[in-house]
Formats: sequence, structure tokens, C-alpha cells
Amino acid sequence: MESIIQIQNVTKTFVGKDNQVEALRGITLEIERGDICGIIGMSGAGKSTLVRCLNFLERPTTGTVLIEGRDLSAMSEKELRQTRTGIAMIFQHFNLLMQRSVLDNVCFPMEIVGVKKTEARKRAMELLEIVGLAEKAKSYPAQLSGGQKQRVAIARALANNPKILLCDEATSALDPTTTKSILQLLQQINRDFGITIVIITHEMSVVQEICSHVAIIDNGELAEHGTVEEVFTSPRTSAAKKLVFMVNPQAGEMSGKRYIRIVFTENSSFEPVIANMVLECKAPVNILLADTKDIGGIAHGQMILQLPEDEAVAARMIHYLKERKLIVEEVDSYVE
Amino acid sequence: MWNKVMLTMLAENLFITLYMTLVSTAAAYVLGMPMGIALVVTAKEGLKPNRVVYKILDTVVNVVRSVPFLILLILVLPLTRAIVGKGYGPSATVVPLVLAAAPFIARMVESSLLEVDKGVIEAAQSMGANLRIIIFKVMLGEARTSLVVGATIVLGTVLGYSAMSGIVGGGGLGDIAIQYGYYRRQEDLMWVTVILLVLLVQVMQFAGTKLSQKLDRRIR
Repeated sequence: MESIIQIQNVTKTFVGKDNQVEALRGITLEIERGDICGIIGMSGAGKSTLVRCLNFLERPTTGTVLIEGRDLSAMSEKELRQTRTGIAMIFQHFNLLMQRSVLDNVCFPMEIVGVKKTEARKRAMELLEIVGLAEKAKSYPAQLSGGQKQRVAIARALANNPKILLCDEATSALDPTTTKSILQLLQQINRDFGITIVIITHEMSVVQEICSHVAIIDNGELAEHGTVEEVFTSPRTSAAKKLVFMVNPQAGEMSGKRYIRIVFTENSSFEPVIANMVLECKAPVNILLADTKDIGGIAHGQMILQLPEDEAVAARMIHYLKERKLIVEEVDSYVE
Repeated sequence: MWNKVMLTMLAENLFITLYMTLVSTAAAYVLGMPMGIALVVTAKEGLKPNRVVYKILDTVVNVVRSVPFLILLILVLPLTRAIVGKGYGPSATVVPLVLAAAPFIARMVESSLLEVDKGVIEAAQSMGANLRIIIFKVMLGEARTSLVVGATIVLGTVLGYSAMSGIVGGGGLGDIAIQYGYYRRQEDLMWVTVILLVLLVQVMQFAGTKLSQKLDRRIR
């Protein structure tokens, strides 16, 4: 089956007064129907530009974008607008109409395509029911919390039964708890309506939480692409490693000593491996980073440990961990 | 001097002032509003950038705005005569008032529309909204509070201009202030007209502020 979104060699150059910025440098990426694809990168990597190329809010300088096999650049203005009604988008700052009630905000996309008012209102109420805000129908956006505003935006996005939902840093303005609930809602929408979701984010945790696939954008280029499991368990590029390890500037202090990164897989995350290892080797380790997540129903996690100075003990520990089928790698070399 | 004739004259001219102000402002909006919208839409960062249209509008607005109203009043006399049939009186004053107010309104509308959150416009574009929907439902809808505030300022300015037209027999309260107060040295009458003008501005300002607050859904 052909991919719902095909990005082929897309470049985007912004021409300034006396400089040029190459925001995208030849991105090729396919997103399958029904996927939740995360596009992740540091700020300024070009991910927001990329997502805007998917509905032509930004026209790529070169390259093509095919939505359901149809080339966006070959479309007339009218066809493009028609196509956009099938590609919904939500934003970091929600972008609701502040002078309209919640209900009228959800009705707005239906006004655009000419749905009858009574019909639109009925559908809007159903959508508000889905996002759990039916009782706020008569409120105005200014009266809602950030999470509620994003829920309204999601209801609005679903109004015209889109096939694709683009999320541009949709959770970046929200607190962790709210982020989680919004991500769950997106997952539910993906499951219930089969909508393909593209999520732009700079947070690996968002990708881990709900994405099936991930594309890592670094400096306008596609650094890595694959299932979240693949990329998370064995990141190849430095950009991917940086995001997966969540390296911060202080990591420089780690140089010169022995550090290992352990990746937990499903058969080992229930056993207290580290504690057992410490008891067995009778030497302490320093846990610098520990992160365990549920990715696609399988328990996953990673840790970065600082091993004892004693080479023999350190070697024994690595051996111990490898014996337990954990993926162990020394990580003194990844620090930039 | 406070006889019935005087009071009738004041009431009549109060009405004339209101007539000139409201009719001119309304007509000027018919002209100025599309200009303001066009300025925003055709600007470099607008939805349909068009250098030529933008430059022409921008220049026309600037030129007309820099001509002092009294000069404009005299300059357009031939046009006024052609339209109204005479060069004096309330209806004749409406012509230069509209011409002076329209570019002012264009700027007011422009600045109100520029305040609209770009993200909301982008959201509408992403939904497949066409230019007409974006202008009328998004930009004008979201800017309505600011537009009402702007209209209040315009009304006050047009009222001031209309009083100035008294110098060439434009009619209204300004005319009385000049004819009786200034030329005939009836200062008490001049003060009465001034107070009436002040009250008019106050009422307009009050109504405008109230209306804009009533329309605003952002604060609760």
C-alpha cells in the first residue's frame, strides 16, 4: 500500500536581506497510513518548517510532497484548499478564535466547507463530547486552561473528518500531566478513527509515549528514521544519541572515566538487575540517568551508570549485565 | 438672549453636527475599510502580497492624511459643488469630511487587523479557508474590539473636523461658535456650543468603550 505522506527530496531555503537560511536540505521520508510518526529535533532543526510543507503553509523550494499520492505543488489554489480540509493541524499556542465560543470554534472548519449550521452544531457537540469538554461549549477560550484549549483545538481539527493530523509542538506549552492526557487523547483518536498523526516535538518523552515511528531532523537533514524501538534501542547518529541520552552540557564532566549505557528489554525490566549486581560485585555504582518507559506496550528503559575506578570490578559488572542479556555499551565516546 | 429662537437654533445645529459626523463617518468607512483591509492583505507579509497595489494605497493615504483639513475643505470645493450642487452647508461639508476621514480610517483598520494573531490566521489557512473567509470571519471577527475602539476615535476626529467647517459656513455647532461666538463676540453662546461639543465627545467615547467591552470575549 502506498504511503499516505511521501516527502521526496524536499528543500526549503529562506532568503533574507543579506543571508540565506537553508531550513531543510533534501528530506525524503514516507509516513504510512495509521502511523503516529514523531518528528523530533533540537529547536531550529527545521522540523516546524517540514510540517508546514506537508500542507503547503510553506511551499518547499524544491522537491515534492505527495498526500495520498497527489502532488501538492501541482494543485491549483482551490484544489490545495480542498486538500487542506483533509489535513488538520494543531499548534503549540492552540490558535483558537478568541472572540468565538468553544462551540463556534469547533464549527468554524465546517463553516469553511459549507456544512449547514444546525448540522455543524450537532457534530461540534459530539466532538466536544469526545474530547471531554461538552460542558464548556458555551465558554470562551480565554476562560479555559491550556490543556482545555488544546482539547478544543483537537475537536476543531477533527471536524471535517481529516485523514491526517499534524501536531506542531502541540504539548510544548503544557505541563507534564496535561501533556500526558493530551497525548493519550491523540492516541485514542489514532486508534478510533485511524487518523495518521504527525507529531513535531523536541521532547523524546513525547515520542516514547505514543509514537510508532520517529524521524530525527538535525540541521535541516533527516538524521535517522525508523520505528521508535529501533531508534531508541540503537541510535546510530550523534543527533539521535543526543536526543535519546538527553545529554546536557554538564555531561562533559563524565569524560575520562568509565560509563556505560544499559538498555532494558522486555525480559529483564522486572528483575532488580542493578541492585543484584551491586550485591554480587560488592561495589557501588553511580546512577547518572535512569529512565523507564512503556513504549507500545513493551516495557523499555535505559540507564547510564558510572562504574567503580577498579578496572577488574568494572569489567565484572559489564560481564554480569551482559550475562543477563542486557544491551551494554560504553558511552565515553559519544560526548561531544 | 436665551429665548426660544436661540434654543431652537442650538438644537437644530446640534442635530446638524450629529448628522454631518455620523453620515460622514459611515460613508468614510465604506471607503476606508476596504482600503485598510487591502493594505493588510497586499503588504509584504500579507496574505496576497502585491507591491504595486500596496504602494499606491500607502501613498494615497499618506498624502491625503498630510493635508490639513481646512486646506482640504477648500481644495475639494469644485468636487463638492459637482456632487452636492453647492459649496456650503451641512451636506456639502460631508464631502471633504469623507475624503479626510477615509484614509484615517484605512490606517485605523490596518492597525487593528495587524493586531490579529498570525497563528489564528495560519490555523484558518490550514483548514482550507479562502481569503474571503479569513478576512471576514477571522480578521474582522477577531479584531472587532479594536475596530470599535478605532471607530470611536474616528468619530471624535470627524466631529472636530465638522466643527472646523464652520469657518466656511458648513453648519452645525462649530458654525455657531464661529459666527456668533467669534465674529459677533457672543462669548456665552460660544461656550455653550463648546460645552455641547465636549458632551458629544464624552457620550461617543462612553458608548464606544462600553460597546467594545461588551463585544470582547477575551476577558472574563
